[in-house]
Amino acid sequence: MSPDILDEASEIWFGPQHVSAHGWATKLTLVGDYIVECDPNAGYFHRSAEKCLEFRNFRQGSMILERICMMEAFLAEYPYIAAVEKIVDLEVPERAKIMRTIMLEFNRIHSLQFWWGQFAGELGLFAMLLWPWVDREYTLDAFETLTGSRHTISYETPGGVKYDFTPTFLSKMEIALSRVKERMPVFEDMLAGSPTFRLRTEGVGHYTLKQALKWGLSGPNVKACGLPMDLRKDDPDPNLAYDMIDWEVPTIHNENHPGECDAFDRLLQRFKEIETSLDIIDKLLPLLPEGPIVDPKARAKANRLPEGEGYGRVEGTRGVTTVWLKTMEKAQTPWRAKIRGPCFASYYSLKHIVPGARFADFPAIFGSLDPYPGWWDR
Amino acid sequence: MSDAPGSASTVARAVINKYPDIESKPLDGNKVELIVPREKIREVVTMLDEEISDALPESMFGVDLTENKYELIYIFWSHEGKMLIQLRVQLEGETPEIESVCDIFPGLEWHERETHEMFGINFMHHPDLRPLLLPDELVGKFPMRKSFETDRSRMDETGLAAPRPRPKPGGESS
Amino acid sequence: MVGSLGGYEMQFDFFTWFGGLWDWIWGILLWFWGIIKWLVIWILDIINGIWALAAVPENFMFLFRAVVMPGLIFLLLALIFTVWFTRKIWARVQDRRGPTHLGKYGGYQLFADAVKLMAKETIIPDKAKRWMYRILPSLLLIIVLIPFAFIPWDPYWNIMGPPGQAFGDLSVSLVLIFALLTAVPVFSLLIGWVTGSKYSLIGGFRSANNQFASEIPMVISSVGPAMLAGSLSMYSIVAAQTSIWYIVLLPINFATFLVASIASVGTFPFDAPVADSEIIFGWRTELSGIYFTVVYFAEFAEQMLYSAIMVALFFGGFNGLPFLPGIVNFLIKWLVVYFIFTVVTSSFYRLRQDQIVHLCWKYLLPLSILNVVLVMFAIVYIPGLLPLVIGG
Repeated sequence: MSPDILDEASEIWFGPQHVSAHGWATKLTLVGDYIVECDPNAGYFHRSAEKCLEFRNFRQGSMILERICMMEAFLAEYPYIAAVEKIVDLEVPERAKIMRTIMLEFNRIHSLQFWWGQFAGELGLFAMLLWPWVDREYTLDAFETLTGSRHTISYETPGGVKYDFTPTFLSKMEIALSRVKERMPVFEDMLAGSPTFRLRTEGVGHYTLKQALKWGLSGPNVKACGLPMDLRKDDPDPNLAYDMIDWEVPTIHNENHPGECDAFDRLLQRFKEIETSLDIIDKLLPLLPEGPIVDPKARAKANRLPEGEGYGRVEGTRGVTTVWLKTMEKAQTPWRAKIRGPCFASYYSLKHIVPGARFADFPAIFGSLDPYPGWWDR
Repeated sequence: MSDAPGSASTVARAVINKYPDIESKPLDGNKVELIVPREKIREVVTMLDEEISDALPESMFGVDLTENKYELIYIFWSHEGKMLIQLRVQLEGETPEIESVCDIFPGLEWHERETHEMFGINFMHHPDLRPLLLPDELVGKFPMRKSFETDRSRMDETGLAAPRPRPKPGGESS
Repeated sequence: MVGSLGGYEMQFDFFTWFGGLWDWIWGILLWFWGIIKWLVIWILDIINGIWALAAVPENFMFLFRAVVMPGLIFLLLALIFTVWFTRKIWARVQDRRGPTHLGKYGGYQLFADAVKLMAKETIIPDKAKRWMYRILPSLLLIIVLIPFAFIPWDPYWNIMGPPGQAFGDLSVSLVLIFALLTAVPVFSLLIGWVTGSKYSLIGGFRSANNQFASEIPMVISSVGPAMLAGSLSMYSIVAAQTSIWYIVLLPINFATFLVASIASVGTFPFDAPVADSEIIFGWRTELSGIYFTVVYFAEFAEQMLYSAIMVALFFGGFNGLPFLPGIVNFLIKWLVVYFIFTVVTSSFYRLRQDQIVHLCWKYLLPLSILNVVLVMFAIVYIPGLLPLVIGG
């Protein structure tokens, strides 16, 4: 190891044993302080979920899905349920539709709180790692009251939901959401208003909208470029309640570089996402009717499915999350289940976004894209 | 280069007009499925890229219908037209081959890698066909094929000891 | 019997010979005994000599002050307290409590941590250069602890007394402290180099970069108080602050010194050399067991040292409430300054290395030079300033 290491390219593994690499490894080629090549490696988290789904019946399958990404467990298991419901053409009671939508948005808020903490912690301020996670405790408390478990909730089932809202849960949800609302200005100050944070994230990890779409990015990573591409509005699921209320897709418009976004824009975009989710929950709660939460006859249809193909999609926290199911006649398990995670595309896009940045920008870039290894490894 | 803000069927009609041997099947909503023969995949994908300005390559995967028959499904979504286009390609053989489309849509590069290692479908002219997800022991074994058993018939491959014999129902142990 | 061999009469009497042999052995034993006596007398002479030297009251008091109070033992106890204090402050800033289980408020946590760390296996990487790897962390701790000898805790209970007396403070002790502290980033670079891992090397280079950025503004900022006091000796600077503390006159100087010293220590927000989300732990990555303990303590000792220097240069050192002993004044001020130091450091995100260099060279360096120029003009042109600042 000699001093002219600074002039030659050296390879370094931002590897699986690293404080910021939670279950993935990337091979970076550095020249001096600049990254010239980035080769993301996947497979450290691969648990062959798709093969496992071929041996689980249609009520068990969603439990595998929720363990792929536990931070957004409700959002992760929903596409599977939606695909099953499409094959059998199930209609879900009204109360269940609204409950599902409320819990999906609540889960989105929880997943974004986790992301705040992780992103800020990777940039060096340990205090901002813990402050949002304190609020997460209230959210997880509410989840536990509703379903009995904090992360692996298995709340949805083909034909409806499993657990009803109790008054205890509603009061806990109220506490959790009011805490989020109270602390939003604090976090905006500590993140968007902090000069050192802006120094670390402005101008870092930028790409244009056209490139993003070609790479397959979706969700907040694309909305930050100014395009309001949101599956909740574009392709509203008939078994969810997004079309019952009036709401707007959160997008930010940056006058300095329209059509492009950098890490700071993606942060601002996720603030808006939380505001939108809070808004949706506020508008939906008064509309909750009395009634059954699941239709038992419909649910019984989900034991043996006819032959068909169903494609269930949901707008997850990180983008378009889909499950494609193919069933054979009178089957108890699917013939093929394909899970598409949004982070598959964002991890791949690191290959194109990162070269040219400094080594210390690497955590800022991948943190702002919100990668989670469960989605690309399954 | 018409930006069809209308329906998926408009795009499907445009494609079929150009390549008559493609069949189409409408799905519910603004979605259409095109059944594309193997040789025409690049032309169809190029045409989709031209017709739809903001096509998002959502997903690409394989399906193993047994007896050496495979299907490849490509799914594209457009926000502008709110339409979803699904392409279906039928493949046959022990190691089927098809041309890669990842220079048109870079997002499909890793989807093709994964399909290659899981099903054994070869993508010609792919820049980088290394295994993506599988550990070294399973490379080349194409785990997602239906012929890859996951029961105890492959126990000796794992190198683990044989399991203890289970007690028979009725109470006697073996 | 009287033997006769070949006609000659040999005068060989066995008993005479035997008696002579015994005398010979006895002589050798006496000779060894003489050597041992000589050794014991020599050692006793040396002990007598040292005792004669140490029994002289000033020398004995110097040894006592250097080793016990405010010397090595006091420093180690203060270091233990500092680590506990820091962990509690960090915890409260981060909305948690810190160590609470051991001892009433977690006081014994540090002993438990030290025992655990020292009992761990020390893993030395394959590619490391073994002997340098073993020596360098301890050298780091020693270099950080030495400047504590020059800090004026108290007018009498001080390791170095007023300049001019026996064991007086050196007339350039401020410069000596900075000279010693300059060695610290060199050790970081060396440890990063000899470890043989790429992450450590990157951390070591960043540490050397930090030194280039931060040491110059820090040293220039410390010239302000020295000019006002008219001397470069730490004791004299503190003794000159009897009428007014220099922070009242030089607030911006204090600010630049604070920022430059945070950058020099290498703690957040300037901890790019040990950025734990980018380069795992920088040059400290591969240290384990006793080496890590030593480096961990060295980091806190450096923070203590800078706080103590700031108290001495800007806050008046042992001057303060007249009814309290000087050292108690010093410790109270030191606690306050250390608290400010820790709270400031845990409130910012980590800056990138090139941003640190930009900050120090584009902002800190011109500000500190401006400070020095302003002080020069103030001394020459403001009447009445000089008697105010050079106190009794």
